[in-house]
Amino acid sequence: MLALVARRLMTAVPTLLAIILASFFLMRLAPGGPFDGERPLPPETQAALQTAYGLDKPLWEQAWIYVSRLVQGDFGPSLVYRDFTVSELVAQGLPISLTLGGLAIILALLIGISAGLFAAVRAGKAADKTIMMIATVATALPTFVTGPALALFFGLWLGLLPVSGTGEGWSWLIMPVVALALPVSGAIAKLTRAGLATVLKQDHIRTARARGLPETKILFKHGLRPALVPVASYLGPAAAGLLTGAVVVETVFGLPGLGRYFVQGALNRDYPLVLGVVTLYAALIILFNLFADLIYGWLDPRMREG
Amino acid sequence: MSVYEIRNMAIQIDGKRLVEGVDITVEAGKCTAIIGTSGSGKSLSCLTPFGLTPGEAQGSIILDGIDLIHADAHQMQDARSRLTGFVFQQPLTALTPHLTIGAQLQEAAAQVGPPRLSRHELAQKLERVGLSRADERLDQFPHRLSGGERQRVMIAAAIAHEPKLLIADEPTSALDASLRGEIMALLDELRLEKGLAMLLVSHDLASVEGHADHLIVMDQGRVVECGSTANLITNPQEEYTKRLIAATARLDEPAPQLQAVGDILLEIEAVTVTFPRPGWRRGKIKAVTDISLYVREGEALAIVGGSGSGKSTLGKAIAGIGPLTSGTISWQGQSLPERRARTISMRALIQPVFQDPVASLDPQWKVRDIVAEPVKNLQSEILRKDRDAMVLKALEDVELGEDYLDRMPASLSGGQAQRVAIARAIIASPKLLVLDEATSALDPLVGSSILQLLRKLQQAKKLSIIFITHDIASARRLCHRIVVLDEGAVVETGDMDLVIRNPQAVTTQKLIAAS
Repeated sequence: MLALVARRLMTAVPTLLAIILASFFLMRLAPGGPFDGERPLPPETQAALQTAYGLDKPLWEQAWIYVSRLVQGDFGPSLVYRDFTVSELVAQGLPISLTLGGLAIILALLIGISAGLFAAVRAGKAADKTIMMIATVATALPTFVTGPALALFFGLWLGLLPVSGTGEGWSWLIMPVVALALPVSGAIAKLTRAGLATVLKQDHIRTARARGLPETKILFKHGLRPALVPVASYLGPAAAGLLTGAVVVETVFGLPGLGRYFVQGALNRDYPLVLGVVTLYAALIILFNLFADLIYGWLDPRMREG
Repeated sequence: MSVYEIRNMAIQIDGKRLVEGVDITVEAGKCTAIIGTSGSGKSLSCLTPFGLTPGEAQGSIILDGIDLIHADAHQMQDARSRLTGFVFQQPLTALTPHLTIGAQLQEAAAQVGPPRLSRHELAQKLERVGLSRADERLDQFPHRLSGGERQRVMIAAAIAHEPKLLIADEPTSALDASLRGEIMALLDELRLEKGLAMLLVSHDLASVEGHADHLIVMDQGRVVECGSTANLITNPQEEYTKRLIAATARLDEPAPQLQAVGDILLEIEAVTVTFPRPGWRRGKIKAVTDISLYVREGEALAIVGGSGSGKSTLGKAIAGIGPLTSGTISWQGQSLPERRARTISMRALIQPVFQDPVASLDPQWKVRDIVAEPVKNLQSEILRKDRDAMVLKALEDVELGEDYLDRMPASLSGGQAQRVAIARAIIASPKLLVLDEATSALDPLVGSSILQLLRKLQQAKKLSIIFITHDIASARRLCHRIVVLDEGAVVETGDMDLVIRNPQAVTTQKLIAAS
């Protein structure tokens, strides 16, 4: 298992580098620059700023400078929020985004697996069909629809939860987390149900039943783990979806997470800020995929031998 | 005194009556075997009383004083867990993949309640079923064990709680031929030691006759005949039983009269096939090492070995449908190159037939097109109407009529599909057929009729045959000579009857014991 982790971390470095370089050059292809405001700056100020931030150097050299600073942990200065470095901005936003994403994935797993389990046990009956229909709807609804709908209902009409901002206590987290978790939990419910339907027909379930075990024990001890293998392989892409999905949810609920900086940075051509967030996202997604693989091996020991 | 007694049982699934009028009695320390082809209802009869199939049983079923028909859920669970142990056919899938051997054995032992067994006691149970390094295996997952080892674990788990009745559903049919005898001997030993009543289910008469005290022959959901094993085999009353006994090849039956053979056609010398190791590992796997053999005109050669012995790889290399790393294959003194370099006339010389007849026919094609395909490719000069006549003739050769021309493979039975596959192999008039386990997937009655057909073709067309199998007794009905393989190398070769009478290699002795 250690070998797997080591091998994955080694391939992560070139992957990250490729992502950083690709985003660097793609971003520079986009027209406009960080200092194009509504009122154009005088050309000499523009030039002075360009020189100050090193933007007048050849692209390759800029890329090299960026990467070599990154290796030392320096994400560079923000070009738009002039008093902050990218590291400072990320340090503000990251905890909020991580809490949001982490809680959402836990909630999605809880709802998804229990709904899928319940549906599989009642396969073919009305409860099964209802759950699967709800799951389909949940998967299909985009967060920019569910988010405002939740805010309207629980925030404005019922006045139970804060509509915007971080506020006091934890109640502000509820709606964004639910909005983010809903589509993922729908997909997980479907995968769990399909996985269980396959596993419960297998021979080792019959062996367990022949042993006189109670049905719940058969389900949880012998059936559930192999049935969750498809869920584990979905977790990597799902984590990516949660991170990017957070951009919308953070905007809808006015939360100062990473997503806001990502979108603002891209619109303002704040090159170091966007690159910093992209690097972070990429690293997180690679990490999540590694987790998914480790979970995979725990669920089914046959996967541990590559 | 009988432990388990079934009277006049009927089983239905979704209102369809599949089994009727079945009586089964199993006594303590004795073995009752149910014999039948697939679809005869034998497994259904064994598993349904315990609620392990979707079926519903009626009649009288008494296990150690408990009436299973009228049992409530609690009594049923008690009957399953305290009184009965089960061994199933597929050791590969019958164990839970994510639980260690120790955990599964503990669960099996604990089904009658506490106390939990100590690690030492668990290891002893594994040792009792003949597993070495028992302590180490407790921490292993099932996929690390071989098929035979897994089946031993299944047996250990089935008897861990000291049941009174052991139900074994085809316990050896998924295993390698040389292992079958060992597993059956283990079951016998445990049965006598613990006074177990054993109900054995099998499709293969030969594999149970030395072990069962009582035989029940089933066909199409009904009992055809039953009685003590010795009596039933020496003096069968019913026509079906007689056919079943005649179809089962045995080594003590008189040797068949085989036709005379001609000159050497195929000769292979120092053939080696290696595969790269899977994954990132270095090195190569030698599947076949340095094998030399020959086949004469009109001669049938048996290539016999257990699974993994390299027999199929060798067959594929000869037929030109698999890789060949080094060595020469020559036909009447002329060298046959590697598969892609063979000319069309060379390809027409040798034709293969495979194990799974239904899977080896394209499900979208009609029988007419399946059989005609080799002619289109190998003898493209032949006109369409002549081709149609050839297809009819080939079907006639395999005893199928004109009405099969437009049928699809899905509508054929296993035996019919294998006949179509043979028709496809012989239509382009090959000199040599390579049959890879061509009768192993078939029921004994069907398998023996295919063997008869092959003998007929051998005589009528002076066909040479390479018959790859794990079953020496069946091979003896067709083959002049035998080559025994183990781990990719020839361990013994010679005249079929001489080898059977006086086997030298351990592998051969094991394979003979298993027949």
